[in-house]
Amino acid sequence: MMGMSHNLVEIVRRHHEQDAPTALEVLKEALEDHGEITDDDRRVAAERSGLPEAAVYGVSTFYDDLLQPRGRRHVRVCTGTACFAATGDVHVRQLAAGLDVQLGERSGDGEVSLAETVCLGFCHSSPAVRDGDTIDAGPGVVERVLEGTTRAASEPKPQSVLDQPVLLAPAHDWKGLRRAVSTRDPETLLEQVKAAQVRGRGGAGFPAGTKWEFARNAPGERKFIVANGDEGDPGSYIDKVLMEEHPALLLEGMALAAYAVGADHGFVLTRSEYPRSKPELEVAAATARAAGILGPAVLGSNFSFDVTIVEGAGSYVVGEETALLACLQGLRGTVSARPPFPAQRGLHGMPTVVNNVETLCNIPLIAREGAEAYRALSPGGPTSGTKLVCFNERFERPGVYEVPFAITLRDLCEDLAGGLVDGHEIKALQIGGPLGGILPGWKLDTRFDFEDLEAEGCMLGHGAIVAFDETTDIRALATHLLHFGAAESCGKCFPCRIGLRRAHEMFATGTPVDRDRLEALLETLELGSLCAHGGAMPAPIRSLLAHFPEELGLA
Amino acid sequence: MTIGIEIDGTATEVAPGTTVLEAVRALGGDVPVLCFDKRQDPFGACRVCMVGVQGSPGPVAACTTPCREGMVVDTRDATARRIAAATVELVLSELPQPPAEHTELAAVARELGVTGELRWPGEQHAHAHDERHPYLALQHELCISCGRCVRACDEVQGAFALTATGRGFEANVTAGLDAGFRESTCVSCGACADTCPTDAITEMSLLALGER
Repeated sequence: MMGMSHNLVEIVRRHHEQDAPTALEVLKEALEDHGEITDDDRRVAAERSGLPEAAVYGVSTFYDDLLQPRGRRHVRVCTGTACFAATGDVHVRQLAAGLDVQLGERSGDGEVSLAETVCLGFCHSSPAVRDGDTIDAGPGVVERVLEGTTRAASEPKPQSVLDQPVLLAPAHDWKGLRRAVSTRDPETLLEQVKAAQVRGRGGAGFPAGTKWEFARNAPGERKFIVANGDEGDPGSYIDKVLMEEHPALLLEGMALAAYAVGADHGFVLTRSEYPRSKPELEVAAATARAAGILGPAVLGSNFSFDVTIVEGAGSYVVGEETALLACLQGLRGTVSARPPFPAQRGLHGMPTVVNNVETLCNIPLIAREGAEAYRALSPGGPTSGTKLVCFNERFERPGVYEVPFAITLRDLCEDLAGGLVDGHEIKALQIGGPLGGILPGWKLDTRFDFEDLEAEGCMLGHGAIVAFDETTDIRALATHLLHFGAAESCGKCFPCRIGLRRAHEMFATGTPVDRDRLEALLETLELGSLCAHGGAMPAPIRSLLAHFPEELGLA
Repeated sequence: MTIGIEIDGTATEVAPGTTVLEAVRALGGDVPVLCFDKRQDPFGACRVCMVGVQGSPGPVAACTTPCREGMVVDTRDATARRIAAATVELVLSELPQPPAEHTELAAVARELGVTGELRWPGEQHAHAHDERHPYLALQHELCISCGRCVRACDEVQGAFALTATGRGFEANVTAGLDAGFRESTCVSCGACADTCPTDAITEMSLLALGER
């Protein structure tokens, strides 16, 4: 990839072959051990990973987890969009006041520290706070943190509206992988996945089969499958449920992808904000290994495949595939220009398929029952398969649901999720994450599908549905979104690095926003940015300009 | 085998793998650049080399876009120039002082007509000077994170003494563990200062040293 140092990638590859840890892994260990990163830790990380000291320094100044000072008690408050929708950020101010420590700081005596985190994935029960290793959420959470009586919040209970759940099946049997390795050659599986027309579930909607074909045809000594578990969208907890409740389904999808493209190893990048994901996946992988499903002879075949689970360190943009590969290699999680695409030159410089977790979880059904059965799951519209959606705490029945495509947002929000709590009304919905447009409450008859949402300036994205009720301050919402955008910019391309900062400043100052200047800035972000972060952060702001201009405080 | 493209109305043939920027320059033309240095791999960060491509939904960065058969490129495309100029305007807004006249940044700003009042003023880089090396000086506030110094040190010199630091608006560069060039693997070759488009890294001349 243009922009990722070939020399550093080669250093990482050679050290990986010798089982050396990445610099990021060593830095994370140091942090767990003594709560901060010192120059000695950086020297050790350089020594063990093989990276130059300067490169390690660069890594140590990139990721949130490595930057935030930690007290003996480290409290992380979720500032995701669902938590904003629940409290308007009142919970953040209450915690800072109650703990007597500013956001992002540590008390003078080193006792307590308070950090921002986006997002803990407890959007069904906002606001959420992580106190040490305990994630607590819901009403009374601030009081419990201040009293020191936090308790683990309950996990969502996912439900499928299908007679035969695909992504949320209660039991897992590896039948798809068994069928593929025993009765099909890789080309046939690839053709099936292409025929099934699986669109990527991470946001961009790129056809998975096409991506696999590129990787299969690309020359390379080795090939890799990478599951993108960096579900950073505030308000989204879909991949969290898949990784933590259905880890074997993901591993089966990865093994199938590997079989189809000729890879022998896979990596899952999980989020540090989801502390359960990595251990759950490791347990599932160990179980599969013991059963002869993963390892040198998958299900007794001559196909070899195993996985490694790697946890990130706090960065939204690492969900972008080139940044994700940088993070997996322990480097700064910045975006690289494409081409070359990861399918040509990815992890360790080798052809790599990077698929979203949910995308990979769609594959076992195709291998088991075929492309036709998969396409038939969503009879009402153009998109194949099913989709997981999730709702925030404002809804009567928040949670994760498996639904067919092309049903209306009214069906989703009113019938499934039961409308909003306490008789509140939907003022607006943000769909598909922070880069998704905002649909006003009077457009609920829009169908939940790629093209229908695009026509409304929105996107399906990853499938999070965050409702804002009638009490929501639209200017505060714009400020909230742009704060996130600016804080998470990787800093590589100039329009995003500076432009999102300026857009946030325009709203945060409280003075009237010059509409012409704002729109010129949004255009610069949209057309100038290197990746979708800067390119699409304007989308929700454009929606607010279109639907709620009188509430934005424009000049 | 060659690829046929058209640049500003002139048809030309290029080898596969040629970027649009290389093709433009081969014809004697040019587009402004900030993060590009022909001695280094393209980086695609500054977004100043934007050009119009017929049929493309928006302008593209010439430095990282490979030529494709039948591509029609307009280096003077109004939208591309508007985005490039706005981006340079943003860059000027983060510096606490205008760039020195002789710098590449000042030249690019002049070429794109970025003058007068800035539309998006705001937070600027804080002054921070590292003058611990006998003749290499780093003025952090002038750094625009183009990555040219880091790549010069990595790709050209192989010293790996420099790194990008921070994230988002806080992005910058430093040597080693941020303890100055002398405490790093710097070999004092000056390649970083040579490529810097803003004077963030400079070689202090003997004359200037005499004045200190």
